[in-house]
Amino acid sequence: MSILTELRIAAVGDVHLGDDVQGKYRARLTGIEDRADVLLLAGDLTRHGTIAEGRLVGQEFRDLPVPVVAVLGNHDYHSDLQYEIMSELRDNGIIVLDDESAVITCRGARLGVVGGKGFGGGFAGKCASEFGEREIKNFVHHTRGIADSWQRALKELDTDYKVVLSHYSPVKETLEGEPLEIYPFLGSYLLAEAVDTVGADLILHGHAHKGAEKGMTPGGIRVRNVALPVLGRAYGIYCLSESDSC
Amino acid sequence: MEAPQYVAARVQRALAEDDRTHELGIRVDVRGDQLFLRGQVTGEEHRRQMERVAQEAAPELHVHNELQVVQVREPGEDEHLD
Repeated sequence: MSILTELRIAAVGDVHLGDDVQGKYRARLTGIEDRADVLLLAGDLTRHGTIAEGRLVGQEFRDLPVPVVAVLGNHDYHSDLQYEIMSELRDNGIIVLDDESAVITCRGARLGVVGGKGFGGGFAGKCASEFGEREIKNFVHHTRGIADSWQRALKELDTDYKVVLSHYSPVKETLEGEPLEIYPFLGSYLLAEAVDTVGADLILHGHAHKGAEKGMTPGGIRVRNVALPVLGRAYGIYCLSESDSC
Repeated sequence: MEAPQYVAARVQRALAEDDRTHELGIRVDVRGDQLFLRGQVTGEEHRRQMERVAQEAAPELHVHNELQVVQVREPGEDEHLD
């Protein structure tokens, strides 16, 4: 660990921006630099995944006094324009992770963020596996590929802090409040397993609007569901620290 | 007469798949000739669109729009993870 005693991470997901709320969210970001060192966006930034909405998201989060790192969510993929939306965000100075990592220096400390959209499949003992019809195999294979990418990216990181940013959930605990029947569409334990194998300080996700904010992986890594309807506030702030000085 | 469960499922599917809404995770209940929408959306105009789409998918029912617009309050206290 380096000299930094605290790292303040602001995070929110599922802002689902549209014309009717343009500028409203931005107003809530005033003063973010006094509260946090970085802002992480956990996907579902748009409603329908259109270019126009992507542009709106870019404008809403551009030129902030703190770095902004984002992943996309399933809504942002709906129109098959996810790569165009990623470009739109990048053009506005936002770092977008698509199963990769980024390193940001915050007041002398190095923060590594690994992430991407994630995907579903369910949780240990009650999940789909790569067996049977091609469609089911493809479904699970997609999640497994993502988990493998994150594990590799985490392993390669040599930073003071490591945070994983996802849209889908890696654990069940932060889904509590959602109907049990849809858990397999809300996340996958493969994501948690990958992160637990390498280690990280925190996992952030969205997607489950009716879920709970706080959970933990089987390996003891803290998980926070930062979906806007769950938080009920502009963003959550999580301080990673070796001391209590935050 | 169509079973109310199928009517509710049709409305839920319309809300998820219609280009005007694309909203998942909305609770749809049918009781007699009444239809109830519950859940949270991010804007007032979106809330009205949801009602329109639901009404079109179930024109014979009276739609009660009990959806709430998510309130974005000021960020609260920090959480310390150590």
